Amino acid sequence: MLLPDALFFVRSVPVVVDPASDNGAVQVASQVELALEASSPFGLAQLYHGHFWAAGSDRAVVFAAYRRRFTAEQTAVWRGAELVLPTFAAVLGGAVEPATTVVLSSPEGLTAVHWDKGPVPDAVRFQPIPPEATDEERLRARTELLRASESKKVIDLTEPPLAEPRRGDGEVVFRSGDFVSRMPADAARGLDVRDKEELAALRRSRARDVVLWRVGVGCVVFFGLLAIGELALAGGGIWQQARRVKFNAQAPIVAGIMNRQEIADRINDLSTKRLLPIEMLLAVNPKALNPPAAIFFTRAFTTGLYTLTADAQTLNAGEIKTYQNELEALPACASVAIKNQQSRDNLATFTLVVAFKPEALKPLAPAP
Amino acid sequence: MMRTLRALFLARLLREKILLVALALVVAALWLSNWAGRASVFLVEERHTTISLADQAKWLAHRNSVEKVAQEAARAFKPEQTLDSTRLLAAIQELAASSGLHNSYTAQPEDASTGQFSVHTLQFTVNKADYEALRAFYLALEKKAPYIGVEQFSVIADKANPASLTATMKISSVEIAR
Repeated sequence: MLLPDALFFVRSVPVVVDPASDNGAVQVASQVELALEASSPFGLAQLYHGHFWAAGSDRAVVFAAYRRRFTAEQTAVWRGAELVLPTFAAVLGGAVEPATTVVLSSPEGLTAVHWDKGPVPDAVRFQPIPPEATDEERLRARTELLRASESKKVIDLTEPPLAEPRRGDGEVVFRSGDFVSRMPADAARGLDVRDKEELAALRRSRARDVVLWRVGVGCVVFFGLLAIGELALAGGGIWQQARRVKFNAQAPIVAGIMNRQEIADRINDLSTKRLLPIEMLLAVNPKALNPPAAIFFTRAFTTGLYTLTADAQTLNAGEIKTYQNELEALPACASVAIKNQQSRDNLATFTLVVAFKPEALKPLAPAP
Repeated sequence: MMRTLRALFLARLLREKILLVALALVVAALWLSNWAGRASVFLVEERHTTISLADQAKWLAHRNSVEKVAQEAARAFKPEQTLDSTRLLAAIQELAASSGLHNSYTAQPEDASTGQFSVHTLQFTVNKADYEALRAFYLALEKKAPYIGVEQFSVIADKANPASLTATMKISSVEIAR
């Protein structure tokens, strides 16, 4: 928001900045306030003020207006503004050659901004012109303004500078015809004339709003990624469906091959391997041991071709371990395990699991 | 576009901004959770299908070798001496009778066939058998190897009379089409 130049008094003040320091803007701000207090008839609290300083420059332009010159209605609309500054301040970021004067025309008068050298103007002058003034009177006033400074080049801005839409947080750009004024965000913040405490609060809330905005943008980006993920899942689903169709088409063929394999294995087993259950029972027969063990089998069954499991009982539990040791000593036995040992009414029961070595047992009746 | 949206967003009241962002976060969280669940199911299915297809490819690649293994195994048999399910049943009954086994019965034979080769399996059970008769039956069966083979065997002694046995056998025969 641009304010009329007529309301502001402007001074160019010298500043000293430690070149090694990285907070030059802060040093300048405090020096500007001191200079303003020294040169203004009003206290700082009674002024709306701002300043312009460019890094490396030995002076700053400071401008201030008496607060009572603005109504409460006027200041109320400042809250939504990005920047509030006098109109001439909008051209301070212009890239001009030394000894250049920019003349801004407004209904209230003319403002001349003069640069002798460097990026910071050495003088800003305002010449009020009554609304009923003729073109000749306006021309005379302009000549009067320009006479105060030696100018090699004069740029007349017939249109008030307008802020261009911001492309980021790094720069503020004003344009009036072909004249472009670019200011870094830090320098632009110094131009704002609003109450500094309110401004700080506004900046804090703005920073918070920017964080919220960025979180929101992050969410939108995330939605985009999720949408891509959905597309990937949909594509993957189609691919997976095609693979399932292939799997289902091949399943009967594969089942047939597996069936052939199973039958081939069984035929092979029947032709080359034989289950020898009676031979197994004879091999582990407790009566065949020396001395015979008083152990009786109540049930026996085979698992696979080489394992015999037998439920057994005895009146002498002490014989179980001896029996196991005897079996382990047999050359045909690969392993012997005693499980589920229980005892009731002097009758001990247990399960014997014997794994035989392949081809270790000889058939009772050799195949013809 | 983004500048317009940003300006619109920044111009909202604080509570509206917070509400909008919170809503976006909740939607993002719900969507992510839902998507992650579906992605997880997809990945499990994809892995399962990949393994299944690889398994199928392995079987398909071995199709010829499986056939060769069956042909190789069948060489040990004379086709005219192999038994179909009816002949297997008859042979078992004859052997049981000649071994002195009574109280025996057989279940319905099960057949597995590839067309050229078949394996017939039946369950033979005998009750109240004495050991010698059972042994004789077993030895008679062994003499029929490899055309008839015992695949499983179990025997239970009667509690009251341990000499009385109940035996169950899974007996198989090979049939090769002539």
